[in-house]
Amino acid sequence: MRPILPIPVLLAWAVLLCGGTYVVTARSDAATAIDGPSQQDITALKERFRRPDGVPHPKANPATPEKVTLGKALFFDPRLSRSGSVSCAACHNPSLGWSDGLTRAVGFGMVLLPRRTPPVRNLAWGAAFQWDGRADSLEAQARMPITAPDEMNMSMDLVVERLKAVPGYAPLFREAFGGEEPISARNVTAALATFQRTLVSGKAPFDRWIEGEEVALGADARRGFALFTGKANCAACHSGWRFTDDSFHDIGLKAGDDLGRGKFAPPSVTAMRYAFKTPSLRDLRMQGPYMHDGQLGSLDAVIEHYVEGGERRPSLSFEMKPVALSAQERRDLTAFLESLAADPAALTLPHLP
Amino acid sequence: MTRNGRMALDPAFRRLAAVFSMSLAVLTTPASAEEFEVTIHHAELQEVTIKPRVGDTIRFVNQADIAHNLYLTYEDGQVETLDTQPPRTTKQVVLRRAGHVVVRCWIHPIIRMELDVADKAASQ
Repeated sequence: MRPILPIPVLLAWAVLLCGGTYVVTARSDAATAIDGPSQQDITALKERFRRPDGVPHPKANPATPEKVTLGKALFFDPRLSRSGSVSCAACHNPSLGWSDGLTRAVGFGMVLLPRRTPPVRNLAWGAAFQWDGRADSLEAQARMPITAPDEMNMSMDLVVERLKAVPGYAPLFREAFGGEEPISARNVTAALATFQRTLVSGKAPFDRWIEGEEVALGADARRGFALFTGKANCAACHSGWRFTDDSFHDIGLKAGDDLGRGKFAPPSVTAMRYAFKTPSLRDLRMQGPYMHDGQLGSLDAVIEHYVEGGERRPSLSFEMKPVALSAQERRDLTAFLESLAADPAALTLPHLP
Repeated sequence: MTRNGRMALDPAFRRLAAVFSMSLAVLTTPASAEEFEVTIHHAELQEVTIKPRVGDTIRFVNQADIAHNLYLTYEDGQVETLDTQPPRTTKQVVLRRAGHVVVRCWIHPIIRMELDVADKAASQ
């Protein structure tokens, strides 16, 4: 049978048709991409996620360069542990994003601890500390890993005794605090807290976009931001410039014996069972692991968990609801999270006295 | 007397008695208790200066898009927890003790409101 039109004409027609279809599809993708918040909404959103200018320090423990210097030395000093071999930086290793990259932290005697090493950046703005929020200040928090039997396993008295035995620490404490007996447990934790408040995420591509550098964020990351603050509802908890509101939720992960914040709340507060602190999303180690106990090994697994909505149980957070995300949307969310990472700040390691 | 033995009252007298009873009810304890309303916006409580007394009620209106779980800590350390409060719902609490009270949220530690509850007798 002879075609109505010559074959070359038919081929040209097919190419035009396919091309047209592609253009329409691409345009509708583009339309989807901008079918998020309006420009006015974006301006408001940008304000909500704009990083602050300064770093807050409490009136009771103001920052001084001398205190930061001392706090840094203490942070890296393994003599704060009973074995003399584990410093704060052993788990909060700056080369691994101030963490250890492990699924769960390793404690005293190489014992595996039940939780992952928590992130320590941007804690100057924190409202509650530790995965279960049992410390209400960085000063209170600083004492906890030092004195926990399964972590550094020290007493603060012994810490003070050891530091007094190191001649080089006396001038550091004197410059930082003055007074007759500046080497004290209180000053150790005050210096550590002050140093930790200086650990602030650097300026990420997302921050440059907030400031008006439109090209700092790719189209995929911008779509991811729209999803993050819209359909996926991540910003219900991962809000503000740190991408956390320090809230506590049971997000329906595989639960073991660890009740999290539930251990400190009355039993009637169902919502706190298996509830852990919402971590910041800045400077994520993209290779994982994730969650308070490292049970999710990849970002894909994390997104899949939120897509499914977590295990249904009475304590499951009200904010946890299944959400359908296409493969493209998942990639967009990942691109957005990548845009929250800054180049690591230069660090000079202290020479310990 | 009626057939069932009860005393028949003049309707006007009955109306008068009813009004008197209602007035009495209004003038006694329930009327002395006030009700205050505090709004929750996202993760913060609307800034209000309230001066409640023991027996007064605070209604917490959750206008946020997220759930909250408020609790009150009285000066003596007693904790009173309200249940989980989804968006667009209201929870209320009757203040039971005088003194300094801190209102916080189990879910959002950033939420904090402090108030002083006066003794009931002090202001009457």
